[in-house]
Amino acid sequence: MKKLILSLFMFLAVAVAAYAQDRTITGTVTGKDDGLPIPGVSVKVKGTNNGAATGADGKYVIKVPSGSTILEFSSVGYVSQFATVGSGNVVNVSLGQDAKMLGEVVVTAMGIKRETKSLGYSVTKVSGDELTKARETNVVNALAGKVAGVRINSQSGTLGGSSKIVIRGGSSFNDSGQPLFVVDGLPINNGAPMVSTTSGSVPQGSAGTDFGNRASDINSDDIESMVVLKGAAATALYGARAKNGAIVITTKKGIKGQSSVTFNSSTRFDNILKVPEIQNEYAQGTLGLYDRTTLSAWGPKLSDVQGRLFPDFLGNQVPLTAHPNNAKDFFKTGQTYINSISFDGADEKSDFRLGYTSTVQSGIIEKQKLNKNAISFNAGRKISDKFEVRASINYTRTKGEGMPTQSSNDPNVLIGTNYLPTNFDIAQIRNNYIDPVTQQQITITPSRNGNNPYWIINNNTSTNVVDRVFGNGILTYKPVSWLTISDNIGTDFYNENRFLPTRNGTVGALTGSFINANLYNRVMNNDFIVTFDKKLNSDLGLKVIAGNNIYETYSRSDQALAQNLTVDQLYNFSNAASVVNQNGSSKKRIVGIYGDVGLSYKDYLFLNVTGRNDYSSTLSKDNNSYFYPSVSSGFVFSQIMPENNWLSYGKLRASWANVGSDGDPYRLAFAYTGQSTAFAQYGFGSSFPFNGVLGYSIPSIIPNPELKPQNQNSIELGTELKFLKNRISLDFTYYNTNTKDQIVNLPLPQSTGFAFKTVNAGSIRNSGIEVTLGLVPVKLTDFTWNLDVNFAKNKQVVTLPSDIASYALASGWSGLQIKVESGKAFGIYGSAWQRDPNGNIVIDAATGLRKTVNDQRLGNTAPDWTMGINNTFSYKNFSLSFLVDIREGGIMFSNTVATLRNSGLSPETVANRGNIFVDKGVIQVGNTYVPNTVPVQSMQDYWGQYTSTNTESSIFNASYVKLREVNFSYKVPSAFLQRNAKFLKGLEIGVEGRNLWIIKSYVPGIDPEANLFGAASNGEGVEFNNFPSTRTIGFNLRVKL
Amino acid sequence: MKKTYIYLLILVLASSFSLSSCKKYLDINKDPNTATTVDPKLLFSFAVVSYANLRSSGDSYIPFALAGQSVATGGNNPTGWGVPSEEQYKISSFSNANSWRAYYTTVGANLKEAIKLAESASPVNNNAAAQNKIVLAMCAYEATTVFGDVPFSEAWNTNISYPKFDAQKDVMEGCIALIDAALKQFDDASPLKISDYDLFYKGDLNKWRRLANSVKLRILMTMVDKDPTKVAAIGTMITAGNFIGASTDNCLINYQDVAGKKNPKFLLNEQYNNGVDFFFGCNYVVDFMRNLADPRLPRFFTKPDQAADYFGVENGATADDNVNVRVSPLLHSAVEPEVFFSYQEELFYEAEIQARGLGVPVNLAAATTLYRKAVQQSCLFYGVDAATAQTFAASLPDLSTVASPVKLIHMHHWVDKMDRGIDAFTQWRRSGPSGDETPALKLPIGAPAGPLFRRFEYPTTNEIAVNPNAPKNRIMFTEKMWFDL
Repeated sequence: MKKLILSLFMFLAVAVAAYAQDRTITGTVTGKDDGLPIPGVSVKVKGTNNGAATGADGKYVIKVPSGSTILEFSSVGYVSQFATVGSGNVVNVSLGQDAKMLGEVVVTAMGIKRETKSLGYSVTKVSGDELTKARETNVVNALAGKVAGVRINSQSGTLGGSSKIVIRGGSSFNDSGQPLFVVDGLPINNGAPMVSTTSGSVPQGSAGTDFGNRASDINSDDIESMVVLKGAAATALYGARAKNGAIVITTKKGIKGQSSVTFNSSTRFDNILKVPEIQNEYAQGTLGLYDRTTLSAWGPKLSDVQGRLFPDFLGNQVPLTAHPNNAKDFFKTGQTYINSISFDGADEKSDFRLGYTSTVQSGIIEKQKLNKNAISFNAGRKISDKFEVRASINYTRTKGEGMPTQSSNDPNVLIGTNYLPTNFDIAQIRNNYIDPVTQQQITITPSRNGNNPYWIINNNTSTNVVDRVFGNGILTYKPVSWLTISDNIGTDFYNENRFLPTRNGTVGALTGSFINANLYNRVMNNDFIVTFDKKLNSDLGLKVIAGNNIYETYSRSDQALAQNLTVDQLYNFSNAASVVNQNGSSKKRIVGIYGDVGLSYKDYLFLNVTGRNDYSSTLSKDNNSYFYPSVSSGFVFSQIMPENNWLSYGKLRASWANVGSDGDPYRLAFAYTGQSTAFAQYGFGSSFPFNGVLGYSIPSIIPNPELKPQNQNSIELGTELKFLKNRISLDFTYYNTNTKDQIVNLPLPQSTGFAFKTVNAGSIRNSGIEVTLGLVPVKLTDFTWNLDVNFAKNKQVVTLPSDIASYALASGWSGLQIKVESGKAFGIYGSAWQRDPNGNIVIDAATGLRKTVNDQRLGNTAPDWTMGINNTFSYKNFSLSFLVDIREGGIMFSNTVATLRNSGLSPETVANRGNIFVDKGVIQVGNTYVPNTVPVQSMQDYWGQYTSTNTESSIFNASYVKLREVNFSYKVPSAFLQRNAKFLKGLEIGVEGRNLWIIKSYVPGIDPEANLFGAASNGEGVEFNNFPSTRTIGFNLRVKL
Repeated sequence: MKKTYIYLLILVLASSFSLSSCKKYLDINKDPNTATTVDPKLLFSFAVVSYANLRSSGDSYIPFALAGQSVATGGNNPTGWGVPSEEQYKISSFSNANSWRAYYTTVGANLKEAIKLAESASPVNNNAAAQNKIVLAMCAYEATTVFGDVPFSEAWNTNISYPKFDAQKDVMEGCIALIDAALKQFDDASPLKISDYDLFYKGDLNKWRRLANSVKLRILMTMVDKDPTKVAAIGTMITAGNFIGASTDNCLINYQDVAGKKNPKFLLNEQYNNGVDFFFGCNYVVDFMRNLADPRLPRFFTKPDQAADYFGVENGATADDNVNVRVSPLLHSAVEPEVFFSYQEELFYEAEIQARGLGVPVNLAAATTLYRKAVQQSCLFYGVDAATAQTFAASLPDLSTVASPVKLIHMHHWVDKMDRGIDAFTQWRRSGPSGDETPALKLPIGAPAGPLFRRFEYPTTNEIAVNPNAPKNRIMFTEKMWFDL
């Protein structure tokens, strides 16, 4: 490694030396408005071909032949300027912004660079700087609250845990609707594969463990920019793969005219953001009596039993006392160290960048760790004037340890077991989880729910290791100035090993077991593109792109479940009495041809027409070809308006697109699958061969050989306005997207013999608005206040065929489902309180408890609207910004709350204990309702019935207001560095905070963002023993050499 | 410039080549991990193992054994199953959903598909079709005794998305018709049948015929109190005979003492409770057996060393480890078979028919012989030695000397089925009209005030919510079904 770096330095040194022969002019280009250096400014010697560009620090170096005296400085978005070279060797220039020509360049679909003003659809660019200010280990999270119409939903606080992106509302019944991630033109995998063990033979389900989504392998330090393409017109050239939008990432490259070493170091501390409150008045037990076989807190009131002794979980006779900090003390402070270093440089012909980032994290519970090492290298070289080669390679190794098991039906579920009646002392449980003599577990109750959480933490630590490589090679040939032929070939593959041990002695799997799974995933992609770009006359420009795409995805999983281990803690198959193997694989190919014709008139009127035809391997030969067109147009009307002081920029945009898409592989033919196990409850199924015979089963889904591509029609209208010399800017978008002929697995009643059938059915319409407002309320010489607000509102309406009453997207527990009905949005359904015609809750006259009715719609999963408010205050070299993230509307179900109430742990369950309690409601007498007078037998009965038979009681408003991000940074002035530390090109220190404060929430004790359904599911709004989210505070140091 | 055109030409050629090979390139949509054709025996084996697992597992055995009070939880005993639980009618929604899923998908649908494959094969495999039909009839009958009215005539049909719910009577009649069809379909001349994969009888068609007749008799015996017209059919069957006639005819699946193939009841105790059985003997069973000095007692239960004799516990009461008996590891062993139909069950039905005079004249002498033989077979089945079994059976009272001979037969029948969850529960429900069943069960301690448990409620997510033809009103677990008077 050292050698490589050294030789790279030598290469650079030579290149620079060869370059600096003649009269050399240097200088810095800064912005007139802010005095900050402007990178990427083209510097030309007038009348010659000599040119250079400024680096990130705004500096340039150029060779000026004798006789030439004028330099031309130009950059998109700035007014070009000439400067005369005098006798000195330094020419510093400041450029003013061109209000009419705010020509920000973005990378759009297929890596096509276009000026923002020419686009007929909305795009949002997030710069790499934004992503590394408060670094998230999962780059997806960094988008939270920053982009209108983009919602980020992180599943849990598990280190390396997964996050889901929802762009403009869910548009699919059967997939999670994740956008396509494209890195330097290569579509990469962002899967979150589940290793399902539901039919397995031990109660060990990794489905409940959050192993993350694979976009988290992208290293945020390598990102130059991230462009969010939200609409179908924007992504049309990617075809079906990007029907849910695309995140187009461009990685950093060496910048011409400089070589530098950048070091960025962050140290952060994480602690639990929100802990449920536990009551401290009543002890463990049932019906007012102490009982150490239960983990419920329906026992005696502590103050009533002072002076008496009771046996604790260790068998000692102890007084019952309160331990109010148990829940908090269970969690510790996690630590994160992110260190990255990069080397980059470039000259006229070559550029390179080498980056390395190390992430070392420890979680908020013991034994939870994450280690990530990412190396990236990319380099380009002009072989000749016409031929250019570029290659990049990224390698990431991620190792996670101790991911907690979430949800239920697994002895290793952690969250929930740590919320205990107050008479427990968590420190004592921590110190006594294993018998020092017998090495057996000391359970916290003698019954079957008594696993000691520290036994699980210390022994049953799930791990995963991901080795991932992705990279591509790009050849570009430019035979003539108006023609470019390029080929971009790339691959992305990873291998993930998951290991989930359950040590002998764990209640529920006393003879021990482990699951070992190997997942392999590969993407191959090739794009061959021919671009014709010519000014037809002085006003009219034409750009035609034609391309061919070949795309293949392949995934394979091999998993084995080993049971009945003999030697303690030896997780080897030879140590297991039984090993059940499962394997599977899936392959899909798409071949596409596409074209894009772009016309521009006088730099203010733009029209683009695209078309793509895909051929998919997953559909039948008769149905596997589908064409989708798009038209988009941008009109910069301010360009033809008379000069004025109030409107500095105005643009209208409109687009229409129609996108088709295919389904998953192998959904056309009826096939029989060999079975490794036959199910039995509590995970004790039988494995095949059984008594010498194998077993096969019909599929659970009725396949459909006639499957057609699904189809999405979308229109988007928008405007961009800038007023008062850019002090006010407004971007408004309206969109309407209808995805019809959805390929869905329609749930069938199981009495058909099947769980689903695959059909084309139903449509989802998402319409909404996105507003981005930028204000500069204060702008003084040294002080600026920027206020950016983004707002998005989406309305989702589902249409189902008349014979389908409802469609379930995901199933939760105890009758809870995420479903849709015609005319409504995705919603949570479940049992609800029975109500009389006046809305009063109906009480059972026999018990005094509430009555329930099944299968009621309880609310929408998606919010009504979301908003992000970011304030940035800059004073000289100080900068302070904070981001507030707001969600309004939608509901969620919390199983944690339900469990805490059921077991009498929540503070609200203290009320009325020992008193006569008559619930407010009515009793049905014949056909009339009279006020209830029947008391409940006990509050334990009341809360038991309240939470266990009913979904509605644990449904909460999912709205929130969060302080998502705070950054404070100080950039040491370059003048100071010039004087005192010349070897430094830049030095910046910062304090960063993420997820700091839930300012407003309606859910007691948990983060309203928790979501059991990970990035692989379109379910939302269900929290089920999720690992809690964290608050992060850290320090950041950026040094540039 | 010329060069450019050459490149363009290469490009055009290359793309036309890629388009022609495109078809082949895309022809990869065959799943390498599945089979497009299989022998029906492979579906049969998966179906019957899934069926055995359902009956032995926490989804069916535990709820029915506890709510039906054939065993007890032991209340708050630390190593008992615990309360409140199924015994207090807290039935997990997994239990009814998983049972439904098994009856209709893993078991029923695979049997139905196996029938289709066998009948569409060339030559037709009539015996395999008949074997599958008999198991399907057992499965559908059980499903209706668990849930009441269930889809049958329109179930398991890929062309019907929303099957209607048939009345229980029609489901049972349909099961009888299915058995009759199977009996007609057997073809001794054909070598085609399920034999090596036949986990019940290894392809012995005569045993299959006897099972078919016994299952049909079981269904008729469940229907007869509600539908007295079945008396004649019972009489006809008794005259014709050919029922399960020896313990070698028992329809059961053996588990093995091998990891991954152990009885689920055993695994539960092994994995959660250090091998200690979760379940206690209940008073109803233990008192009855103790009073008879039943030699099956040590086979069914483990008596605490400190206890003078076998004592059960009241359902829901906290059991004392020094007093109350637990279910024996001899019964809940790793290799305990899952029994679908036993010889003694057949004998109990025949005894009952003679005692009640169903389609035959009342004959208490014949009934006495039959019920003694049934108890003797039960003893032998549960591991009592032959001599003791015979002596004990002979010591049982002559039915002509007891006040309620039919009730006594019912009680012995129920005790024999103590470890057969749903079978015991159905036996109890059909043993008499509400309030007059054998034994006379009381509400378990901690169960909600009201009537006794009578059925599983329908599963919401996998049927009711997605089937517009499903009953819309919630049918409570306390509501009786058609056959249950």
